[in-house]
Amino acid sequence: MNRSAPKKILQTYGTVLALAVIVLAFSLIRPDKFCTLTNFINITRQISLLVMISLGTTLVMSVNEFDLSVGSMASLGGVMAALLAVKGLPMAVCFLLPAAVSFCIGLLNGWIVARFRVLSFITTLGMSTVLSGVIYLLSGGATVFEGIPKSFSFLGTTKLGRVPLLSILMVVFVVLFWFLLEHTTLGRKFYAIGGNEETAKIAGIRVRKYKTIAFALCAVMACVTGMLIASRVGSANTTAGDGYFLQSYAAVFIGCTVSRKGIPNAAGTLVGAAILGILANGLTILQMPSYMQNIITGGIIILAVIAQRAGHGDAA
Amino acid sequence: MLLQTEHVSKEFNGIYALRDIDFQLDAGDIHGLVGENGAGKSTLIKLLTGVYQLREGRLLWNGEPVTISNPADSRALGIRVIHQDRTLIPTFNGIENCYLGLEYPTRLGRVDWAAMERRVWQTMEDLGIDLDLKKTAAELSPPQRTELEIVRAMMTDCRLLILDEPTASLTDQEAGRLFRLLRDLRQKGTSILCVTHRLDEIFLLTDRVTVLRNGRLVDTVPTASVTREQLIAKMTEQAAVEPVCRRETFGPVLLEVKDMASRDGRVKQGSLALHSGEILGLFGLGGSGRTELLECIFGYRALSAGTVLLDGKERPGLTPEEAIRSGMVLISEDRRGKAMIGNLSVRDNILLSSIDTFSRRGVLRTKAGNGAAEEQIESLHIKLASPNQRMLELSGGNQQKAVFARALMTAPRIFLCDEPTQAVDVATRSDIHHLLRRKADEGAGVLYVSSDLKELLEVADNILVMARGRTTVCWKNRDLTARQVLACCYENQEKEAQP
Repeated sequence: MNRSAPKKILQTYGTVLALAVIVLAFSLIRPDKFCTLTNFINITRQISLLVMISLGTTLVMSVNEFDLSVGSMASLGGVMAALLAVKGLPMAVCFLLPAAVSFCIGLLNGWIVARFRVLSFITTLGMSTVLSGVIYLLSGGATVFEGIPKSFSFLGTTKLGRVPLLSILMVVFVVLFWFLLEHTTLGRKFYAIGGNEETAKIAGIRVRKYKTIAFALCAVMACVTGMLIASRVGSANTTAGDGYFLQSYAAVFIGCTVSRKGIPNAAGTLVGAAILGILANGLTILQMPSYMQNIITGGIIILAVIAQRAGHGDAA
Repeated sequence: MLLQTEHVSKEFNGIYALRDIDFQLDAGDIHGLVGENGAGKSTLIKLLTGVYQLREGRLLWNGEPVTISNPADSRALGIRVIHQDRTLIPTFNGIENCYLGLEYPTRLGRVDWAAMERRVWQTMEDLGIDLDLKKTAAELSPPQRTELEIVRAMMTDCRLLILDEPTASLTDQEAGRLFRLLRDLRQKGTSILCVTHRLDEIFLLTDRVTVLRNGRLVDTVPTASVTREQLIAKMTEQAAVEPVCRRETFGPVLLEVKDMASRDGRVKQGSLALHSGEILGLFGLGGSGRTELLECIFGYRALSAGTVLLDGKERPGLTPEEAIRSGMVLISEDRRGKAMIGNLSVRDNILLSSIDTFSRRGVLRTKAGNGAAEEQIESLHIKLASPNQRMLELSGGNQQKAVFARALMTAPRIFLCDEPTQAVDVATRSDIHHLLRRKADEGAGVLYVSSDLKELLEVADNILVMARGRTTVCWKNRDLTARQVLACCYENQEKEAQP
């Protein structure tokens, strides 16, 4: 019992420990710049967008599927919102209409995957390409920035005291998704489907329906993220979301290692995104060139996956 | 003495799965290994095959101490194992499967298929096995797959062949063929260690038998010197199991199936009527479509024709979800693949079908759910460390009980049970029989599929025979003999085979 206890702790808290070590290391090297309240608040804002898009990805991964269209969905969300804002529509419409559209696109993704039992990997890769085409169609390929009213930037730039609204939104969403996955029947059904689709079906769970819901919610989160990106910078780049796509999967994968069962979960995703965000922040403070940042971040992602395998490998 | 273990123990997280085992296996013996689930049979085999590493005690091979630290070491000694879950690659043909783990012969840098085929043929001829090597493993029947595994095992010098539940998916006749093959192997000097839950096989096949109980070796005896009852007594602390009663009078028809056919053609014409209070045994040889029929009734497999009537009402396009809501449950034969979610907790598994009843507007009422799950765990005597334990960490028998617990949570009136006692221990088997009888007495109907005819004759009130995708005769299980039922099966099978 004693011999395996440290291993169990490492298995469960290893990733959180790694996060602590990273924070500690940066704090020791640059206490003046890294370890300040301002910088920590800054970090929460920097990771907030990644966390939100990753929460959607967490849902799709909890039903054991992939949605590779989250990046272009985010870009499309930003472009749609900005274009509506330019048209002078009320802000509520600018943000809610794209969300509704993304919900439908997500439904379509999920319906195709569940109905025809095709690989979500390929389906959503196709959808991603379709969406980039749609973005071009809508924007003509140029960044949308002229004529966007000031109020469009409210959500992305407002601060409550010293805390950005984005950081608060992030916390709200993390709690919401944690609750959804852990404490609602929807979440339990997602995990059941992700654990074993056939068993879930025989146990009376409507697999198609719930998979479709997961895809739809994921697309909405991607769209929300994209709109917030646009709101933050006051313009909509046609590829603004693309960079988030791989990062979000990295965050979810790292997050899986936080759970003892090795499954996607909201708190884990937050930890995963935090590790990626703090590394980026700290390495920038250390004036590490961006290619070095890539090497280090990529290496950490690979290490996380290996650590998870090693931790769970001999359990069976 | 081919193999000997001295004071072998194995612990996991402080709990001993094996303790102080002194096991001896003579060369040229067929040795049976029996014990309830969790007795340590699998652990012992995994130590011998290098899946687990030995830390306490030692192994002697032909009298010499050896270490087996990985599967390759075990193979090098000449130990081969055929697992309960077959380990063939479905898309590979016979030759490719036989050459798994072997070096492909080459000629001028190219794979020499002709030489490979010759060598596989040679091995098959020596064994007296006839298989179509061009077929992929997926295209072979279950008994053919077992034979292919044996061919693969015998491709290189095999001193000890370990079989884990070799007949789990075979019918009696198919098992008989396998046994003849194993006896031939013994003649040729291969020792065999056979793990099985079917005690009849121990008596049919083995020379000696070793009993494990709670991780300890209870006894090794010549098979001829013990009776079935004595063997069961050694395996369990309690005396032999109590047989279930049978009924002759039933209530109204709960489930009626008319002229059912599946879209994939596995079921051609299935008809049956299941009454309240009845345990209806469904018997068929391998590939007869019995599993598929159950899946069709439950709405899990696509239909091309036929109707399902529940309480006399027609239910077209039934889905598993509606089936459950109408009081039906399916206990699938494929426990890992279709009946449990290994990486979720036992509690989550038990609540799987009834989760909506433990929620308010979609939010879980955790306490109520946990309480209900724990009640089931207690009443079915599921042995576990905690309800939070992951399902795959339980022993087979306890997993199956948890599967039943999930089914019971929806208060079903119609049980569709497909091989519900497959690979579970004697005590659990009896528990399941009694549970189903009790439910039937309370007014439920049970459709009970088993490839173990003796089991059906033991528990079923009526027995329906299925052959080649069609249901045929239905008998009252009174003065019915195994021979009668089997004769009917083969007769129908032959009739069907002729155009």
